[in-house]
Amino acid sequence: MFIEIIEVIISGLLNGSVYALMAIGLALVYGVTKAFNFAYGSFYTMGGYFAWTLLVSLGVKGGYYTVFLTAIPFLFVVGFFLEKVLISPLRKRSDWQMKAMMLTLGLSLFLDIGYIATFGPRLKSLPDIVEGTIDIGPFAFMNQDIVIFILSITGLLCFAWVLNNTRVGMAVQAVAQNPIGAQIVGIPKDRVFAATFAISTIMVGIGGILLSQKNFVNPQASTGIMIKAWVITAFGGMGSIKGSLYAALIIGMLEAFVGYYLGMIHIEVAVLTLLLITLAFRPQGLMGRE
Amino acid sequence: MLKVKNVTKKFGELTAVNDLSFDVSKGQVFGIAGPNGAGKSTLYNLITGFYKFDGTIEFDGKNISGLPTHKIARLGISRTFQIPQIFESMTVQESVNLGCRFGNTGKYDPGYSDKMISFASLEKVRGNKTDQLNLLGKKRLMIAAAMATKPKILMVDEPMAGLNALEIKQMTSLIKRINQDVNITVIIIEHFMKVLTELANPILVIENGTEICIGSPKEITSNPEVIACYLGDSHDA
Repeated sequence: MFIEIIEVIISGLLNGSVYALMAIGLALVYGVTKAFNFAYGSFYTMGGYFAWTLLVSLGVKGGYYTVFLTAIPFLFVVGFFLEKVLISPLRKRSDWQMKAMMLTLGLSLFLDIGYIATFGPRLKSLPDIVEGTIDIGPFAFMNQDIVIFILSITGLLCFAWVLNNTRVGMAVQAVAQNPIGAQIVGIPKDRVFAATFAISTIMVGIGGILLSQKNFVNPQASTGIMIKAWVITAFGGMGSIKGSLYAALIIGMLEAFVGYYLGMIHIEVAVLTLLLITLAFRPQGLMGRE
Repeated sequence: MLKVKNVTKKFGELTAVNDLSFDVSKGQVFGIAGPNGAGKSTLYNLITGFYKFDGTIEFDGKNISGLPTHKIARLGISRTFQIPQIFESMTVQESVNLGCRFGNTGKYDPGYSDKMISFASLEKVRGNKTDQLNLLGKKRLMIAAAMATKPKILMVDEPMAGLNALEIKQMTSLIKRINQDVNITVIIIEHFMKVLTELANPILVIENGTEICIGSPKEITSNPEVIACYLGDSHDA
């Protein structure tokens, strides 16, 4: 019994770490721009297809090392470019956040249909990042899960480091807290918006690479990922990075326990029940501001 | 140093600033007065790039019309707001550091940041979160963060609003020191005429976005049009 509980907790931590990597990007964009990015899930799928193209279609050397080294600049450029071309012009208009939400919803549909048109409707499988299992005492772990966990935590630590120790990170924090105040101390708000969009695209795209090698590359995965990221962000508090981190770990853990004790079919019901109860009593989420 | 030429700003049918022209010379404390809704803060927003407008604004011989706010700040025009625009989750030190990091030179000089914290008398609260400061502290912080960008012109918007008599004295002294000790040109919007006439010369008075008169404190306070539209019969506001 004790061993089973420990295994469930470890499973929850694994889920939570990847969820955190993906949901924090969404929280970051909302925290800075106050606009919700409905295309977020489609960048998850983009990460998966990017890895599949390099590893399977082109068969590049270096395996996942090459994938991660090229995915980061690729996803940054895609995010930055899309923000500059599609979203930035909207900011000159009134009620631009609502228009941005509509536009990103359209972008999501466009990308998802584009994936089917380009890669076909069938699921694609990626090679395992590592194979085999490792036994530690009475516990058996899949090496693949350990690598996903380590890479997710590394991604989160890199994000925290960038946010707290770099010029870009300082600018992002300043714009998130007070865009007017940020501009008068010389911070280029529009460039920060684009950089934020690009950083969030990297985070969810990397999440897509990590999970697609476990769950297949699915052209219709974006809706599920978008809902999951939104649930975590709303539960943690819209725009709160710390709240999203805690929410991701709590939801990861809840999913693991409900899946083990009640069955997989009850996971979504349990997660959404937790969200509704939280929002009923605390509409701003765990750590959001009213 | 700053030339505002025939500047007009309309919001739909409303003309907030109407064909306004004036010059601010280096070293001046230039005052702007007028009743509520006269267009004073809108004028600040035009100079600092928050709105597009008709006309021209030149700073140090360069046309800055249409430049974004952060570029104008980096050129050397910084400002404060009537309602303090603070970074709530940051400390005083971190907020002032932002000015040093992204301001005029764009190079981070921690020594200069510390100097501005001392200048604004914020040493004792440098580690405090900014939302823990009282109103005077928040106004001092905005000035310190703006000064950290090494501006040539500092524009302060209603710095005395909400302060008590002692705090007004302290704020008045701070603004004098900015102009006299650091040699920064100051533009000040202020309703409190006693303070404005003590600090500023010349003073521009506007109503409905239009200039009523510009002149020394004595000229302003004796101008019949200013008395009629703004100061009232006993002008002790």
